[in-house]
Amino acid sequence: MNFEVQLGRTIFPNPVLAASGTFGFGLDFPRVANAIGGIVTKAITVEPRAGNPPPRIYEFPGGIINSVGLENPGLKRFRAEILPRLARLKSRLIVNIAGFSIEEFGLLAESLSSERVDGFEVNVSCPNVAEGGALFGQDPKMVERVTRVVRQQTDKTVIVKLTANFIDPVETAKAALAGGADAVTLINTLFGLALQKDGTPFLGGRTGGISGPAIKHFALFCVDRVARAVAIPVIGCGGIMNGQDALDFISAGARLVQVGTASLRNPYAPLEVWCELRLLCRKNRFKNWADVIGRTGRSS
Amino acid sequence: MKQLTATVTDVQRLTKDIFSIWLNAAELAQTAKPGQFVNIRVGEGEELLLRRPVSIADVFGQKVRLIFRIVGKGTAWLSQVPKGCGLDLLGPLGRPVRIPKGRDILVCGGGVGAAPLLFLTRRLARQNRVYVVLGAKSRKEMILVREFKRLRVKGYIATNDGSLGWKGTASELAELVANELNRPIVYACGPRPMLQDIVARLPGHEIWGFAEERMGCGTGICHCCALARKDGGYIRLCRDGPVVLLNGVRL
Repeated sequence: MNFEVQLGRTIFPNPVLAASGTFGFGLDFPRVANAIGGIVTKAITVEPRAGNPPPRIYEFPGGIINSVGLENPGLKRFRAEILPRLARLKSRLIVNIAGFSIEEFGLLAESLSSERVDGFEVNVSCPNVAEGGALFGQDPKMVERVTRVVRQQTDKTVIVKLTANFIDPVETAKAALAGGADAVTLINTLFGLALQKDGTPFLGGRTGGISGPAIKHFALFCVDRVARAVAIPVIGCGGIMNGQDALDFISAGARLVQVGTASLRNPYAPLEVWCELRLLCRKNRFKNWADVIGRTGRSS
Repeated sequence: MKQLTATVTDVQRLTKDIFSIWLNAAELAQTAKPGQFVNIRVGEGEELLLRRPVSIADVFGQKVRLIFRIVGKGTAWLSQVPKGCGLDLLGPLGRPVRIPKGRDILVCGGGVGAAPLLFLTRRLARQNRVYVVLGAKSRKEMILVREFKRLRVKGYIATNDGSLGWKGTASELAELVANELNRPIVYACGPRPMLQDIVARLPGHEIWGFAEERMGCGTGICHCCALARKDGGYIRLCRDGPVVLLNGVRL
């Protein structure tokens, strides 16, 4: 069976990607990176960011809450130091970009449209920064404007990573489509607050983003809802720990999936999910991959 | 770093809440260096998502010793693992301690903090003059005294209640010992207040400490275990540590 997926000009050899922020820049586990559909880098901002004070992670049964705060070396150093090293990876490379203004998104897309980069994941949904860009994701008009600016700056694949925090992702997915996006990623982490026994916030950044199996079924709900309502390819993300989880998202209408939190437990997780997904396809005797994608929506 | 399954060959309870387990793990035993740790999968299913980082307390032949204190569900699970079971772990992780030559060395451990210092002291003692200070709240909570004695290093013991050795804290005793030594390099492991106290008491010394912070992946990809550098920004404890020059960080 052929698992290739095309988004924009990028052909992904298989549908399993490593999610942004949970796989670094892909340099640490090249064997995994090269075997999966592609990697999405940690978010890059124009200026370097130190990130939030610790603790940055909280664990609860079935999930985690993180508050890293977009720590990254910034555009200049990413271009000078990291991008050249990424040349030795064979995998499809999607760079996650996070701007604090519309202009910054444009600048990031323009400056990073190098040969090595296959596409961008426009991050309008990080829950861990107070300012600007993260709130864009809650406003369909801003999503459309940001997407359009990025689209104007690059002929690479443009993916918009959407949030489901306080906004119907159908609205923002429509906006991304109108702005010229090739796909949307659903969903980014959900807002979360963890407390210490004395009532003070546990995380150094005060609040964080919830991920892991705990959010899987809400993410599935969003993927199903958007896939049925908007004519834009969806990348499913949220609590995918194994092949069956990945298959669930594909069934709900996702063309590709991203493995995130699972990589914290096991950096080989994206590869394992891909292997398990292939085995499941054999076991289920699927004849045609296209028939599997979105079968949930066609069943009712 | 590798993902491997190591068989538990022995489990011992050292104190009320400190446990020691020996693993059969030939490759890990050969490659692990003092200062490094393993990240252990705990629990069944998806309830506990993150691995638990445990520093390597000792290595003997093909065996690796881990010592940990029960602080929550994950470590409680780990303490219940029966002999003969396989543990899923990633390791060795972290940056090894650079072993100096021909120096006076002061090693200071508080509570369960004595654990990784055992492995370190074993390696340090080969080519340095090593002095060890171990501290605990009371005699009942003191661990590894016999093991350190076998290393034939000079040892000093402090307990907060005076039930064993000198009455006082490990850092107080460490200060007294350090003053008798020639520009010692200090290696410390213990609760954060102990590390802070040592830094305050021994200005001008090169002090390496086993730092702790909530960890996500242990492999450097998630950037969660941030420790603030004095000159701004953060280091990743799992990758740039866990042993760090305390003089350069904000604890």
